[in-house]
Amino acid sequence: MSEFTSLIHNENIKIYSRVRTWVMLFILAFISVLFPALFHFTSSGGSASLMGVWENFQITLTIAFFLNTIFTVVIASDSVAGEFSWGTIKLLLIRPWSRSKILLSKYISLVLFSLLSTAVMMLFAYGASLIFSSGNASATVGSFTAFEYAMLDVLCSYFEMFITAALAFMVSSVFRASGLAIGLSLFIMFTQNMFAMIFNPERYAWAKYLIFTHMDLGRYILSDTGPAGITLGFSIAVLAVYYALFLAVAWVVFGKRDVAA
Amino acid sequence: MFSCFSEKRQTVVNYKGLQAYSHYFRIFKMTKGSEVMPNMAEVVKPVASLMNVTKTIGSKTLVSDLTLDIPPGQVFGFLGPNGAGKTTTIRMMVGLISISKGDILICGRSIKDHFEEAIANVGAIVENPEMYKFLTGYQNLRQYARMVPGVGKERIDEVIKLVGLEQRIHDKVKSYSLGMRQRLGVAQALLHRPKLLILDEPTNGLDPQGIRELRDYLRRLCTEEGTTVFVSSHLLSEMELMCDSVAIIQNGKLVDIKQLKTVGDAAAVSSVETLFEVDNPQAALELIGRGQLQQGGIVLEAGREEVAGLNARLVAAGIKVYGIRTLSRSLEDQFLEITGGEGIV
Repeated sequence: MSEFTSLIHNENIKIYSRVRTWVMLFILAFISVLFPALFHFTSSGGSASLMGVWENFQITLTIAFFLNTIFTVVIASDSVAGEFSWGTIKLLLIRPWSRSKILLSKYISLVLFSLLSTAVMMLFAYGASLIFSSGNASATVGSFTAFEYAMLDVLCSYFEMFITAALAFMVSSVFRASGLAIGLSLFIMFTQNMFAMIFNPERYAWAKYLIFTHMDLGRYILSDTGPAGITLGFSIAVLAVYYALFLAVAWVVFGKRDVAA
Repeated sequence: MFSCFSEKRQTVVNYKGLQAYSHYFRIFKMTKGSEVMPNMAEVVKPVASLMNVTKTIGSKTLVSDLTLDIPPGQVFGFLGPNGAGKTTTIRMMVGLISISKGDILICGRSIKDHFEEAIANVGAIVENPEMYKFLTGYQNLRQYARMVPGVGKERIDEVIKLVGLEQRIHDKVKSYSLGMRQRLGVAQALLHRPKLLILDEPTNGLDPQGIRELRDYLRRLCTEEGTTVFVSSHLLSEMELMCDSVAIIQNGKLVDIKQLKTVGDAAAVSSVETLFEVDNPQAALELIGRGQLQQGGIVLEAGREEVAGLNARLVAAGIKVYGIRTLSRSLEDQFLEITGGEGIV
């Protein structure tokens, strides 16, 4: 048997040899540079111009992460559904590799992409923040320095994106429709706050097991407990269960289903 | 080659073959007789065995209780009208869809329980050969080469040469014609030198020259590399030219297995219905004393040498002989007979 890494290599080629992927990465880099520049040029002597490098960086990333999530979801959705719509799945699955390993290689390449896109974003946002920030001393946020806060915030945003991508990946391999996968995951991404508000765990006890309540881990940076006294540990546990569920469904369905596309 | 005959589990096809009139259309008469030719009754271990394979989706049975052995070193045809279950069977053979009942062994390994080992012996195109359009032909082949051990650059180049894609291999697949994609599909299936090559309607979209080439290199693969080729089609004339044997399937059931090609010597000794086209059929009939009248000639059973002798007698008796033809039924006639003439499109 050849190496499993060659499967991941294959999947990476499928991602990076498409123009689309580079356009996405370019847009991410562009947005990451654009916002620090906008903050700089649109504020004359106001508070924004006094923002420190890391504050600038953090705000830029908060905005850019929306786009990053969308792009990662697009890649996740296409990863399996694309093979079905191209018809290439038939040639892919008749190799001496089990379906679970093929799916795993796809998932790993997706995670690698999400790491790359986040790294690109951070790099450009940091560079631009260095150039366009005039404020010197960064204020502290809670008990953290601005740098620590920015990093924690990025981590939380990445986590959220990670879960959203897993959802997209699942929908993609269950329904084999990338449009549905993209739509559904983005819908959840944009409406989670609304759902979290409607199904407030303070009002409904069961609502604390909903995924929406826990997607935003950023709230734990400055406070130990969330609504209805849920803790970071509890949120992570709930998310982990959902994550495991998404992947389990994806694997079971992908492994069992008849390929008659 | 003699070794191509294996005793079928269900149907033992006995036949007397005779070479047909055309040097190109090598069609042999097949009759269900009682005796098996002794030198043909050799039992060979099949490359693939389908054992009571059934596929049901909901209440619909697509393939029912199909048992079939594919003997090694042949081009084995899989023939049936549209919707007969050809592609469904092929999908089960390559593990794309589950087998509802029964099992399929490839080189002795179950595709159900030992998928990875079984499929390693198989190269296939299932329906259209879809490729990554945003990659070049070469990059596509590299994809598949990476997934199997021991396929290096030389092998890739060799296969590209075999299918005649050297000129365009570094172009993106989206610029390929259907025929070129078909060639790339064959290349992809051959990369790892599979023991069993499964091709689902491989001549779809190929031009006559492409079909001819495909036929030639399938034949070459079979004789030179010993690859067994399992090829499905609904095109009868094509199957006649391409295959050593055909299995005929209809409504998900195996109807018959037929040998198409046999050796010339065996053909020479058996007699076959022959038409003598003559100017005076009545006189010819009286002279020979057997046979029956037909438009512009007489028809009788005769062996190879006998035909020559009869001809000499006719000519000697002053009867003009315009033509001598064997009246073997074509595969199409037999196919229609077997499948009850239901539409083959």
